[in-house]
Amino acid sequence: MTTAVKAGAASTSDTPGPILRVESLTTSFRSGGAWHPAVRDVSFDLARHETLALVGESGCGKSMTALSIMGLVPKPAGRIAGGHIWFEGEDLTQLDDEAMRRIRGDRISMIFQEPMTSLNPVLTVGFQVAEALFYHRGMSGREADRMALDLLEQVKIPSARRRFADYPHQFSGGMRQRVMIAIALACRPQVLLADEPTTALDVTIQAEVLALLAELKTAYGMSMVFITHNLGVVAAIADRVAVMYAGEIVEIATVRELFRRPTHPYTELLMRSIPRVDRNIAELETIQGQVPSISAMPPGCRFAPRCPLREPRCEAAPPPLAGRSGHHVRCVVRAGA
Amino acid sequence: MIRYVVKRLLFAIPTLLAVLTIVFVIVRIVPGDPAQTILGDQASQEALENLRRRLGVDKPIAVQYIDFMQGALLGNWGESMVTGRPVLTEVWAVLPHTVDLTVAAILLGALIGVPLGTWSALHRNAPIDYATRIVSLLGLSFPAFVSGILLLLAFAIELRWFPVISAGKLDNPVDRVRNLVLPAINLGIIMAAYVTRVTRSSMLEVLGEDYIRTARAKGVPNRAVVWRHSLRNALIPVVTVVGLYLGILIGNSVLTEIVFNRPGLGKLIVSALNQRDYTMLQGLMVVYAFLIVVVNLVTDLTYGFIDPRVKHG
Repeated sequence: MTTAVKAGAASTSDTPGPILRVESLTTSFRSGGAWHPAVRDVSFDLARHETLALVGESGCGKSMTALSIMGLVPKPAGRIAGGHIWFEGEDLTQLDDEAMRRIRGDRISMIFQEPMTSLNPVLTVGFQVAEALFYHRGMSGREADRMALDLLEQVKIPSARRRFADYPHQFSGGMRQRVMIAIALACRPQVLLADEPTTALDVTIQAEVLALLAELKTAYGMSMVFITHNLGVVAAIADRVAVMYAGEIVEIATVRELFRRPTHPYTELLMRSIPRVDRNIAELETIQGQVPSISAMPPGCRFAPRCPLREPRCEAAPPPLAGRSGHHVRCVVRAGA
Repeated sequence: MIRYVVKRLLFAIPTLLAVLTIVFVIVRIVPGDPAQTILGDQASQEALENLRRRLGVDKPIAVQYIDFMQGALLGNWGESMVTGRPVLTEVWAVLPHTVDLTVAAILLGALIGVPLGTWSALHRNAPIDYATRIVSLLGLSFPAFVSGILLLLAFAIELRWFPVISAGKLDNPVDRVRNLVLPAINLGIIMAAYVTRVTRSSMLEVLGEDYIRTARAKGVPNRAVVWRHSLRNALIPVVTVVGLYLGILIGNSVLTEIVFNRPGLGKLIVSALNQRDYTMLQGLMVVYAFLIVVVNLVTDLTYGFIDPRVKHG
């Protein structure tokens, strides 16, 4: 597994190194007196200006991976139990709370899934955008306000000046998500973590917000980790994809490669369960069985109990993430194929 | 905001009228003849009729209702059956004592309870949290007359810092405060215990909200996350509880007023009950109703200050 990552890194060694490198990250939660990994041995690189999609069903650890990078794993129930998160030469897992706070919202930002509850109901929208500038840039109130107004205009809030002192409840879901984007972008972060930013929105609004994110990502020269369970969105926005299952990355490849040759049985089944307008809905496949519980993970491959290609050796030991030319798969049956 | 205030004020008017009507009905619905009750079994027919006329209960019910409403609104509440002085004068004489006591208890409760509850929530399940929870539970379950007597023994009799009898005049500010301290602490302890518990649970809930995660994600320092982002949201249920409790407090100051021998509405109503002072009781019910309406109005206005969703809604 380690060799696989090193090989992947070596192939890009002629370009400047990745902006973010997650190395064997394990984030555990305490349940019934024992620690159980919700994220296990997750490794990936995020190149500069790249968009990496993290895909998987609810509870697969994709949000917890992002929260680990932010240093926002809920304490004391959870903790980063192992691994490293390298960001611009620093290991984020080794920083103290104050050092991490200074990075959050300044050089790494995050947008959340639920725009309706993610803004503070008793503070004005303008203040909530200006706040990050105030803490990270030491701006005066007036400077921060001017900049915040500019940001609200950039995320295309209609008549932003008039709405600056409005409260979140006076905004629609789509508009609130734009405000969230403005907050995240306020300090021009190098890395943006977007956790299902469009899932809670109407379909038409989704497309607008996605387009806005893509546009601003280019304009700001950011790198982005985009978390979603929607493979259609992945195709539209991402350069590379990491598919997660039960806390592990089971497959990672470029978008084109993954859609052309989905290799892990889980990825394959995930692709086949996307509804398509050109096929009969009756053919839509579902994946049998359920994700194993965090405290009862199978000893071998975590997908084995649900896998149509299961062999005895799958259940013997956890399979490594292995492959070549940037396409890595965690499957002993398919790895050699 | 002004529109909201005016709206709340206008809403208070029908509430008050409804409450007055209920007081009227309650008084009339009580079985038995008030004149008979007041004068007793041995009273002559003539005396009974005289009293009925004085009370106005010989008139048709509709006329009584109009008289009552008019009197209540214009401040003409009749005379005390015992002292013969106007009910309003009696009430007016003790009202400042009750207002002093209630306001002091609320202030103490808020000033102790809000920081303590917040502190407790921030150290959830740490020893300090357990200590706070146990102490606040004790504060809630300790009877006011027992704590009152203990306070008197310690600070009035042993240490002699404060007077044993908290009657005193209102025109001397030093006396007024000295007389207030012990009774206010006695009531304030209960209030503080109550506020601590509500603040703690409300704060814990707010700290788990998505917008707190957003604040942390943008790098807001912990101090500001607590004071600016959490506390104002956490105070919304606290205001509700304090508002509800304030109504009860006005009524429950009776014990404290008796233990500390302090004039007040509570003491007035107890003596009116003992002496079957029918007009005084009716007047006091109106006063209590009026105070509760005012408390609710203040609570509503406080919401408007804390929660922007209220004034726009």
